[in-house]
Amino acid sequence: MENAKIIELIKKVTEERNEIAFSEIFDFIAPKINAYYIKNNLGIEQAEELTQEVLSTIWLKADLFDPEKSKFITWSFTIARNKKIDFYRKNKKNDINEDDIRDFLYENNKTNDYEIESTIKKITQELDESQKKLIKMSFFEQKSHKNIAAELEIPLGTVKSRIRSSLNKMQKHIL
Amino acid sequence: MNTTAQKNELIFDYSSGNLGEAKSLFASMYLYLNTIAAKKASVFDNMLAQNFNELEGIEPKKLRYTDCIKTPESLKQNKNPSNNPLSRLIGDFNNIDWKTIYKGFKEFNILVNDNDSVKLIKMDPGTSVPLHSHNGKEYILVLDGSFCDEYGEYNKGDMQINDQKIKHNPTACNSKGCVCLSITENDVVFFGKFGSALNLFTFIKSFFK
Repeated sequence: MENAKIIELIKKVTEERNEIAFSEIFDFIAPKINAYYIKNNLGIEQAEELTQEVLSTIWLKADLFDPEKSKFITWSFTIARNKKIDFYRKNKKNDINEDDIRDFLYENNKTNDYEIESTIKKITQELDESQKKLIKMSFFEQKSHKNIAAELEIPLGTVKSRIRSSLNKMQKHIL
Repeated sequence: MNTTAQKNELIFDYSSGNLGEAKSLFASMYLYLNTIAAKKASVFDNMLAQNFNELEGIEPKKLRYTDCIKTPESLKQNKNPSNNPLSRLIGDFNNIDWKTIYKGFKEFNILVNDNDSVKLIKMDPGTSVPLHSHNGKEYILVLDGSFCDEYGEYNKGDMQINDQKIKHNPTACNSKGCVCLSITENDVVFFGKFGSALNLFTFIKSFFK
């Protein structure tokens, strides 16, 4: 779905609490979120529970989303990632509420997703397919270097050095 | 000393959700105080979101959109924080219940569920930390004022990562002194005149953790 179309739907959710608009957002994003959790090795039931939490958050905090500043896909990805982090941190007895911090950082972040598009383009052009795959497995699917080595049938040292060189390439563009 | 790669690694790990509570909190503060770091995190978030966008969806079996409109109470509580949740870390440093370690050097521990420990450090103007190195890594972020050591001057929003290879002797060089957020993976190892006494102190302290 186009970003512009989703922004329109989100606006309906925020302003009118429009459930039909929300159901369209759900149909677009829920399967991706569910797939993300399954890719990250969560069980089917757990994946759906977390997907529900993400969608509930989208429904509840739709007014936090700033379409001028961020793309919907990035915003919803960060919510999904945060729910996964919280899931692994079961004991919540600490001084600081991370969810509040994340919302606060989002509201106060001066970076604009649209301004950094060219930087991302340059990075993706510079990385070859195997490097992109390693970044994806390591940071998106959160596989250990050891598991990546086993899955791709390449030595552990090669995995480490390739990831390192990909990160170095990225660094040139984001300094 | 080139720690750019290590700093970026912290940002990338934050973006992918790889960090424990201590480092996660530390990275939040770093992104809040340092615009360049925030930009790097946004670049990486967007790259990961591209992977997310390209995922072939898996339809949830039971979940319907109507289930998500029923908002759980736990989520309601967090809606729109009006106050800065980091204010405890960046607010009025005079209101913190500091514990004096030695003259001019104070600490305040922050409770997190993690093997890494997080604390605030306050150094009065001119106060130094004796030459030391670290068994594990130490991350220091300047929240207010500045400090200098053999490697340079660090101002508000600057971060320093120290490991076993680095011996340094930081001094609060600003007239305001310095407040830092620090993460240590392991206890530090001291050198010099008071080194053995301080090492003994850390050794004894470890029994009371």
